Amino acid sequence: MGKEKLIPIFAIIIIALSVFSTIYVYATHIDKDTISLNGNEYTIDEIFALAEEKTISTVEGEKTGVALEDLILKSGVGCPSCSEYTIKARDSYQQTVNWDILKTGILDKTGRVFFPDTPKKFWVGDVVEIEVI
Amino acid sequence: MNRMKLFAAILVFGSFWGLSEVLIGSSLHNMGLPSGAIMSGIFALTILVLSRMIFRQTGMQLGIGFIAGALRMFNPFIGCHLCSAIAIVAEGALFELIWYKLSFDSEYLEKPYMQASMGTITAYVLFVGGHIVTQILTPIVAGATFYVQNLIVFMPRIIAGGLLPAITGGVVLPIITLSKNLDITLKDKVYYPTTLGISLICWLLILGNFLLA
Repeated sequence: MGKEKLIPIFAIIIIALSVFSTIYVYATHIDKDTISLNGNEYTIDEIFALAEEKTISTVEGEKTGVALEDLILKSGVGCPSCSEYTIKARDSYQQTVNWDILKTGILDKTGRVFFPDTPKKFWVGDVVEIEVI
Repeated sequence: MNRMKLFAAILVFGSFWGLSEVLIGSSLHNMGLPSGAIMSGIFALTILVLSRMIFRQTGMQLGIGFIAGALRMFNPFIGCHLCSAIAIVAEGALFELIWYKLSFDSEYLEKPYMQASMGTITAYVLFVGGHIVTQILTPIVAGATFYVQNLIVFMPRIIAGGLLPAITGGVVLPIITLSKNLDITLKDKVYYPTTLGISLICWLLILGNFLLA
């Protein structure tokens, strides 16, 4: 089969794959208003009542929210420094960080995490779960 | 082709791309629009295809990607600047791979449906490939660890995100190829001051944007 046939077929496959993937993404969309942490479900207000707030300096300026260090300690994680933490978003985006990074971060009222010294790729928004690994 | 002339062209195309990423990409991001998809499907594709069509030099688009990626680092306030810079360089490299054996002089690329197909494939690979490369390299460059499971669970969304660039690419490439027969030649006396002048204006605008932000 020559390029004249292969290229259009490949283009059609790409479009079809993207369409099916879009349908899959919408079908598996997570719809919940709570955040899972160490096996328990919390609303954002409960999280703010549970742990203390702090302000950090980021490349986008000062950000205020619940200190992730305090939140993890108060959620009953046995050995925080022995664990890693996968922060999961509603859209299935997730990032895994170690304790050294996590303890510098905050979770704000909108459900977004911020870290002072990491690229924004780690600033997961619309958080639905912090999994302790 | 004269190496200096080629380098000046890489500089001007890279500067244009960098400027569009910093100003237009950032504005699209602020408006809540899919900036990555629009930038890959329209701006990156236009700059890369146009430069290949005019200069017919392999390797040039990788250089353009490096210049644009470096300039993107000058806008740390919007989006993930490191991720974007890595994605831009990756897009330049991916374009080189896709178009390595292809030429605008080929007879089959004269046909509009072939141009549309190549536009779809190129824009899609630029967006999806650039996204995957940045997911892998950003944690590594930032001194953190890359976790393959984080990429795997996000793959359906990356693939789905490629739909918009694939469609726009299919429209944009045939439009760009309409300019194939335009004869834009500049004499050396004008060529260097023009290309360097345009590049300088792009850098000043990026620097101004950085200082005012």
